[in-house]
Amino acid sequence: MPGNGTGPVIELTSLTKRYGSTVGIEGLDVSVAAGEVFGLLGPNGAGKTTTLRCLVGLLSPSDGQVRVLGLDPVADHRRLAPSIGYLPGELRLYPELTGRQTLDLLAALQGAPVPRQTELCERLKLSRTDLARPVGEYSRGMKQKLGLVQSLQHRPAVVVLDEPSEGLDPLIQETFYELLAEETAAGRTVLLSSHVLPEVQRTCGRVAIVRRGRLVTVRSVAELREARARKVRLLFADGLGARPLGAAERWSPRWAGERVELLVPPDQVVPAVRGLLAELPVADLTVEEAGLDEAFLDLYRSEDGSDGSDHTDGSEHSDGSDHTGGPTGGRPTDGQLPKAEEKS
Amino acid sequence: MNPGTVSRRLPLVWLALHRRRRMLLSLLLGMVVFETLIVVIAGTIQPGDLFGAARGNPPSAFKAFSGSNGDISIASYPGLLGAGLTHPFWIALQLTVIGSLGAAAVAADVESGTIELLMTRPVSRRRLLAERAGAMVAASVLLNAAATLTIALGVAFSPKLRAAVPEGAVFTAGLLGCALAFSLTGPVLAVSALSRRRAYVVGAAVVLGAVGFALNFVALAWSPARPLRYLSPFHYYAPGDVLGHGGVPWAALGVLTGIGLLGLLAAFRLLERRDLAI
Repeated sequence: MPGNGTGPVIELTSLTKRYGSTVGIEGLDVSVAAGEVFGLLGPNGAGKTTTLRCLVGLLSPSDGQVRVLGLDPVADHRRLAPSIGYLPGELRLYPELTGRQTLDLLAALQGAPVPRQTELCERLKLSRTDLARPVGEYSRGMKQKLGLVQSLQHRPAVVVLDEPSEGLDPLIQETFYELLAEETAAGRTVLLSSHVLPEVQRTCGRVAIVRRGRLVTVRSVAELREARARKVRLLFADGLGARPLGAAERWSPRWAGERVELLVPPDQVVPAVRGLLAELPVADLTVEEAGLDEAFLDLYRSEDGSDGSDHTDGSEHSDGSDHTGGPTGGRPTDGQLPKAEEKS
Repeated sequence: MNPGTVSRRLPLVWLALHRRRRMLLSLLLGMVVFETLIVVIAGTIQPGDLFGAARGNPPSAFKAFSGSNGDISIASYPGLLGAGLTHPFWIALQLTVIGSLGAAAVAADVESGTIELLMTRPVSRRRLLAERAGAMVAASVLLNAAATLTIALGVAFSPKLRAAVPEGAVFTAGLLGCALAFSLTGPVLAVSALSRRRAYVVGAAVVLGAVGFALNFVALAWSPARPLRYLSPFHYYAPGDVLGHGGVPWAALGVLTGIGLLGLLAAFRLLERRDLAI
């Protein structure tokens, strides 16, 4: 394995990639240690895919430096590539090749044994019959499973996954999370990009949040969640419905019949709950730790006071819509980040 | 080796040829049928019935159709056989192979996104291009071999044709065909190395072939345009002359091979510098 084993496994220094006048990513500084599962978060078009493509040597940076295991992914491609497993975000395969031929082709190009191929196919439920069929007949989920097998089958030291759970059913997603845990337990480094926040919350230790090609922050998932307001939910049993909440009005109450949800800063939760119980006829009360999704949107909003949508050059959705706000008022649905635009 | 089994030694050559195996088989079959028709028709014409025999020779521009820059008229046995190696159908078959495999070399993989899977392996860009160029050359050689062997068989079985064509000339003409294909392969690969759309590469192949042929035709037909013939690869491709007089046109072979090598060199240079994802 290349690299001296002491420094960070992945190091991006002022990474900038421009496509003509369009900025893909600008001035990105990120460092990932060995054995870490690191998440790259941001809506489509924020620059995640561009960053990953620079990491695996498909794109040359316009400026700045990329080092993976101490090597330049473009200049030292042949030395570095044996140690990398990569799953593209938009996985494209040769439709006329069977699953088996696809795996064999990629293994032949890898030029190394693929000790995990059989095991991975079994665990991801790719049967012999499936592998004997042309890939063109595969569903989205089956293609993604094949993509995961090819990215892990040669036991790479660094695994780069672009939206890895797209199209996977919940059972296979669980297997995928197990595989990720095994990878890190074995000391391998994983960098994944995603806009599925529960997935990132579950799998990643630290995350970098990017927007419009720029880094917003790099923090641990725990830190992000700790800093985020708690959800305090109250149920009233007097049948009066929405009412003035006095001092608690400042915590953005959202009413739904007899229920109200407040977002209370973590250091004010105890006094707030005491005050509410003392002043109001509360029948039930729950306090919930905020998820990464809300922490993420908080950060996005606080960066420029927007609703979290992202519009880099020329990359809006084809329907021209803004997918971030909508009826949830900027709150994400199903843990998905807003799909504001196409990838860059 | 089972044709469905991935070659571990040359996986990219295998991929290029495996994916287009049905098209290549069809083209080979088409070439054999076409050249068979040419030799059968040529073999059935009596010397006195050659349409140039009783009348004057056809216009000099027709030499473009017999593959001659000299004195080989289409109204002769070598000219008729040469016509089978310069006919628009023959050119179309060659361009189909070159355009299709040339597009698949780089541009089609970039356009479809499959390049992301290939080039994140320990595969250098030089190897990618070298294997893809190898697949193109192999397909072109096969196609020209099919044409050459068909004509060679026809000449061997027809005393009239055998008397008119010097020994070994058919194979030299086939070699010249390979050189012409290579002279188009290099530049087409350069376009593929630079492009992110397969349509550009196919377009480039068609333009190079069609414009090259047209330029040679116009230069032969219209004396003021005569100097332009040197710009066309078809000027250096004269199978009719080879079939009529024998010998090996080393200079023409050198020029055609040189054009191909220059194109190939440009392709390697262009591919080294480009981004491999859109």
